[in-house]
Amino acid sequence: MLGSFGVGKTSLVRRYVESIYDDVYHTTVGVKIDKRSLQVDGTDVTLVLWDLYGEDEFQKMRWSYLRGSSGYLLVADGTRRASLEKALALEQKVREEVGKIPFILVINKSDLIQEWELDPTLEAQFIAKEWSILRCSAKNGENVEEAFVQLTRKILA
Amino acid sequence: MTMASLLPGFLKQLGYVLLQRNGDGTYSLLSEAPGWFTQLWPAAAGSGDNPFALAGTSPFLDNFLSDAEEFWKTPQAGFAESGTWIETGNSGEQIALEARALYLDGKPLLAICSPEKQFQERVQVLQTARNSLLEHEKLLREIQKKEILLHCIVHDLSQPLSAMRGSFDCLALETNPENAAKFIELGKHASEQQESMIREILNAFSAELQADLNAEQAGNSTPDLLEAAQIAISTLSPAFAAKGVRLGLGEQISKQMNWKVIGEETRLHRIFSNLLENALRYTPTGSGVTIGIEDDGAFLKAYVDDEGPGLPADLRPAEMFALFGRGKKSGGKAGLGLYFCRITVERWGGSIGCASLAEIGSRFWFRLPKAVLNGKPAPAKKAKPAMEKVSVTNREKQSALRILLADDQEDVRLLTTHQLERIGHEVLAVSDGKAALESAKGGRFDIIFLDEEMPHLSGVEVARSIRELQNHQEKRSALVALTGNNTPQDRERLLASGFDFVIGKPFRLETLDAFLLDPANAEPLDTLPEKRHLQESASWEDLLQRVGGDEKLLRKMMKTFLRETPQRMEIMSKALQRKNGGELSSVAHALKGSVSIFGAPHAVQHAQSLQDLGRISDFPEAARVYGFLQEEIAKLQQNLRGYAKETRAQSSPRSHEEKPKSIGTKKRKR
Repeated sequence: MLGSFGVGKTSLVRRYVESIYDDVYHTTVGVKIDKRSLQVDGTDVTLVLWDLYGEDEFQKMRWSYLRGSSGYLLVADGTRRASLEKALALEQKVREEVGKIPFILVINKSDLIQEWELDPTLEAQFIAKEWSILRCSAKNGENVEEAFVQLTRKILA
Repeated sequence: MTMASLLPGFLKQLGYVLLQRNGDGTYSLLSEAPGWFTQLWPAAAGSGDNPFALAGTSPFLDNFLSDAEEFWKTPQAGFAESGTWIETGNSGEQIALEARALYLDGKPLLAICSPEKQFQERVQVLQTARNSLLEHEKLLREIQKKEILLHCIVHDLSQPLSAMRGSFDCLALETNPENAAKFIELGKHASEQQESMIREILNAFSAELQADLNAEQAGNSTPDLLEAAQIAISTLSPAFAAKGVRLGLGEQISKQMNWKVIGEETRLHRIFSNLLENALRYTPTGSGVTIGIEDDGAFLKAYVDDEGPGLPADLRPAEMFALFGRGKKSGGKAGLGLYFCRITVERWGGSIGCASLAEIGSRFWFRLPKAVLNGKPAPAKKAKPAMEKVSVTNREKQSALRILLADDQEDVRLLTTHQLERIGHEVLAVSDGKAALESAKGGRFDIIFLDEEMPHLSGVEVARSIRELQNHQEKRSALVALTGNNTPQDRERLLASGFDFVIGKPFRLETLDAFLLDPANAEPLDTLPEKRHLQESASWEDLLQRVGGDEKLLRKMMKTFLRETPQRMEIMSKALQRKNGGELSSVAHALKGSVSIFGAPHAVQHAQSLQDLGRISDFPEAARVYGFLQEEIAKLQQNLRGYAKETRAQSSPRSHEEKPKSIGTKKRKR
């Protein structure tokens, strides 16, 4: 799980693994690992989910954490344009550090879509890069399962 | 007892476990196992002196051991760090861990610790920092939205202004009375358009304030001034840190005192935030801003001191808190913030002000009634003056009145004086508050009209002074506020300040007449003429005239319009569904251009609104306006189709008498 701080990475994992959502923002310090087994197109898979802290001036990302990863969810908060810009930068950095691996851009907080700041210029950049994009909500569960399943499919492909 | 024998227990006390990496990749325990280690790695903890494997026990540790193996390849000083990770204990508790690979005494070692206390402290610090960053981001977004909105407002208001100016220019050169009349009509139409826009802006602003007021009534009404100051400091600290400006609370504030005031928590935070933002804007890097709170009798007073350049010498404190008071001078924003502070503080029965400090900087202060006064809640509002006391009697209404008019706008002064004198009243017109007060001292006026915002002394200040002067006099002049801030809240505020009546600006001369005839029943806030100039008026002849009489061209344009408009409406509808503000704005702009060819000012107005709303991504409001636009477009299309059908059926063009009807609709009420 990669993305700026406060975009909802931990909330998405908790929603997916434990079906729990907490409205209060709890910052993640360090790395937390969760697991969930699922079946995708007849194949049994165990996802080992690395919930990484959101990088900012207080915590720098250790790229060694991505070593051996099969894919990632790049998470942004639709209500914060800065987090979407950060997602663009993170994807580039991942390519530089560990090469091209499957990922999906998850734009979280679709329950607050009226407050989204996804302007056409930014959306055009995502479309031009042919990224897989999913609008999700950890709060109401919209597309959360779908995001992990789609990523698994990409990894298995 | 030796140091070597103490070490294992000592490490355990510190929360560390020390492992030696053996040549075959297994590990041996060198220290006593702390509880968390026994819980997470039970096999290793119970292995005694036997080597054990760590690989495969934790995905995170597996990842770090790759780095550790790399480090252990060569004996060296220093260490490789894992960073913090979280494991889940047997009861579901979160255990924070950190690992280090190092060389000691020529042996490759792995130290793992659980820095629980430091971890919790770090979480707390980061939580506060990130909450503040999120708040700061939110604040910046609000500011940006406000700037875009103001840009749109200025842009829209300047359009009819150009039309008015053009009309005046043409009028100055025109000798033909018929043409002159057209230009006058054009100018009047543009002024009404502008007036309509101003009222919509004020209504929107009024709605926002009303929403705030409702929240205030629903919520806690005795917030704590000190708590609010502390929250504001915590929220804005990142912004101050980014600029290198110190922000803190004054040292003399007693934590034991009851700092509760009349007000509402959220809006009190907003007042502090607005004052701090204002201070930050003018305070140079390296200097400081301090919030102070002190007891002030029945009130509590809060102030924000900055070390900036101080207030401009030519600026009166009251001007700082006027609507759009500062403009963009000296790096300031649009000036809604301080205005908000003033009207909010005054509504709660308090006051607000500012002054330059003796040596450097300025102080912005406000005071609010204490929440508890003699065991009872302090009164928040002042009593409204009784209408009966006003000295405009029926007899006076029918005869000439002595009127004092104070307004710093020359054109308003001239027109109003002209109108009042024309209907037989005696008028003395002055251009500022000081002159108004001087003139009013004689007490010979029946009515005194005071513009709210004037140089030297504001209308409110003059009104208060006049009321004090007339306290012991038998005759009281009726005080009428003339104000551009004519929301219901402003009206209430002005009435509470000592005025008897409030007339909104720009006002019509008919409104003034009606007021003088029957002040008690006159509409206090001027109202818009609903239909006269906002009706569609593009007849077939008008349309033909617009295209230079070329009927073929007009038909072609109508055909194109009827073909393209449904597509544009569809694109806008989809843009609304997808929350694509840029696309919505761009298509609304294009549609506005094509609609304006056929007159249809209401459709044009709605398209303009959609263009603006798209720019600020206000989708709920855009959806509402889209509904209005759909209705207007449907009517316009219907009329155009009617024209097309009828004129096609005719062998010759129709005369004016045959096509008297107009297209479009009346202005709808919202």
